[in-house]
Amino acid sequence: MRFSDILTMSAGSLWKRKVRTILTVLGVMVGTASIVVMLSLGIGLQKAMLSEMTSQGAMTSIQVYNFNYGDGTNQLQMTDDTMEEFLEIEHVTGAYPQLSTWITLSQGKYEASVNLYGIPQEYLAQIPLAEGSTLPANATKKPELLIGNGVICDFYESSTYTYPYYEEGELPDVDLTGKTLFTQFEPTWTIDAQGNEIIQPSKKNIFPVAGLVAGGPESYNMYCWNVYTDLDSMKKYLQDTYRGQVIPGQPTDRNGNPYKYFCYNEAIVTVDDMENVNDVQNAIAEMGFEAYSEAEWIKSAQQEMLIIEAVLGGIGAISLFVAAIGIANTMMMSIYERTKEIGVMKVLGCGLGNIRWLFLTEAAFIGFIGGIIGIIISYILSFLCNLILPPLVGYDGMNISVIPIWLLLIAIVFSTLIGMAAGFFPAQRATKLSPLAAIRNE
Amino acid sequence: MDERKVVVEVEDLYKIYKVGTNKVRALNGVSFQVYEGEFCAIVGTSGSGKSTLLNMLAGLEHPTKGQIAIRGQHIEKMNEQQLVAFRREHVGFIFQSFNLMGTMTAIENVALPLTFRGVPKKERLKRAERMIRLVGLEKHKKHRPNQMSGGQQQRVGMARALVVNPDIMFADEPTGNLDSVTSEEMMTLMRNVVNKHHKTLIMVTHDNQLASYADRVIHIKDGKIIRIEENTKMHKPTEEASGREESHDKE
Repeated sequence: MRFSDILTMSAGSLWKRKVRTILTVLGVMVGTASIVVMLSLGIGLQKAMLSEMTSQGAMTSIQVYNFNYGDGTNQLQMTDDTMEEFLEIEHVTGAYPQLSTWITLSQGKYEASVNLYGIPQEYLAQIPLAEGSTLPANATKKPELLIGNGVICDFYESSTYTYPYYEEGELPDVDLTGKTLFTQFEPTWTIDAQGNEIIQPSKKNIFPVAGLVAGGPESYNMYCWNVYTDLDSMKKYLQDTYRGQVIPGQPTDRNGNPYKYFCYNEAIVTVDDMENVNDVQNAIAEMGFEAYSEAEWIKSAQQEMLIIEAVLGGIGAISLFVAAIGIANTMMMSIYERTKEIGVMKVLGCGLGNIRWLFLTEAAFIGFIGGIIGIIISYILSFLCNLILPPLVGYDGMNISVIPIWLLLIAIVFSTLIGMAAGFFPAQRATKLSPLAAIRNE
Repeated sequence: MDERKVVVEVEDLYKIYKVGTNKVRALNGVSFQVYEGEFCAIVGTSGSGKSTLLNMLAGLEHPTKGQIAIRGQHIEKMNEQQLVAFRREHVGFIFQSFNLMGTMTAIENVALPLTFRGVPKKERLKRAERMIRLVGLEKHKKHRPNQMSGGQQQRVGMARALVVNPDIMFADEPTGNLDSVTSEEMMTLMRNVVNKHHKTLIMVTHDNQLASYADRVIHIKDGKIIRIEENTKMHKPTEEASGREESHDKE
């Protein structure tokens, strides 16, 4: 028999028993939809999680801290030379020191204490910018500031120490880009001949504001609480301003004198591949620094997600399994009902292989149609999930249920194969029926 | 007569069923020959073994002992798969209860055996159409079995048996579900087809009256042939049954 004839005959037999076919298809539909929706939830959650992490460059970056920082005696220091050493480690693609110091921002009656980070241009470029903002330029005379989107919440009234945002829930009347914003470094200490500490406040500067980090005051990202500037500009400014003095936030030697170079307490090392993060991390730790990366955590989190996906898929698979039993039952009944018809076909010379294929195709049809409808239903359910669920679980604006193309294809192929597997035994049974059934008269 | 080509050769055929511990001899040593272009009737009462004989001739049942050769091919040695292939290529079958496919129209039913041969649809329908005309049903070719009378259905069954241009046709009580008038029409049609198209037909019936349409009547009783009658009285084809003859070309 031709393949097209097998298809038409199978479809014809299914069409003849519409209600039964529809009911069986319904079972497959529910099974397919439950698997697809369950898996789409797993995939969606994983995607949401991963995209959050990759957007922070967390997958391949290592944070290096020097906790020995500050005490000047025989201590390990993280300097520009150290960065060169980091770069010599295999698989390292970049080493970005961060110079950080506390600053006070002030405007009118408001003040805020924030961390100012001087970071290299390559790393600055990773910070998402609000509209109309630019990155702080490299090696300018005065450092240009990039202000975190949450910094505005940190302003307090300097006279009363009250935070308008935290205490009253309203944003302080501070204009971060338009009006003059004063920046003040930490005061410098010197010890006079009598041994008294002299605290000398730093002078207030006006640093140009290059822009804001993307996001509203309340949306969190890893940059939102800090102020960033170009590393070279910051170094140059500090060196020029505090010539011969101790730069705020920098260590001193045994005698309280400043070093001629900058010491960093934080750096970020980037690695070519997630697989190598662990090795590099160990190498840095051997040098005496604290190295921390999220790669390991992400890996185990990914494995956990896989398990969750498997469990979700398994739950869906149970209903598909039940549907498969339904198909087998339908096919079995259909074969008993059509014993005579099968006998006639055999008498008329229909090959055994053809009879097997006729029934396998019927079962496959049920699986295939169920799969297709199941996928349509899945899309509707997935859409509803994305409409209703994200606000409830704190993934606002993200798709919590994602159906990739491969899942669609696999779902259709799988449901069709399940149909055929369920139809195999009945089809085998059909080939064994006696042609004599056609002769019997009832 | 002996110079005619032998189509079916049956030799010393036995079929023994075991019912509990008893052995029932449905066929107890049967030998005969059927010649090309012959209309042969096997007549016997219920339980005489005539149906068993037909089933074995058509390769639906295996004999316990003995030989059946159809056009020289020994079908008693064939397995299920070979038998199906054999029937597909050489045998046409007419059933008592018509056994048309309820989901198919008359012409589709006639074309069905060609489907099993893998003949393309266009070609199938062309050949089926010819057969439909041969049995005089062109007005009903688009009808489904439940829209046709018993006689019309059996004509479709006849066309279906003829469409594969079989070496031999079997008819199992072909008029068993028909009234006497339709039965006679059917017998006349079969007689005509055998005469005009030189087909070989073996019919099983319990009705001596119907057997009189055949060239030769094999009487069977208790699994044995008791008498073989040559029918000298020639049946003339009636007009309405032969009217469509010119449309059937010889394949």
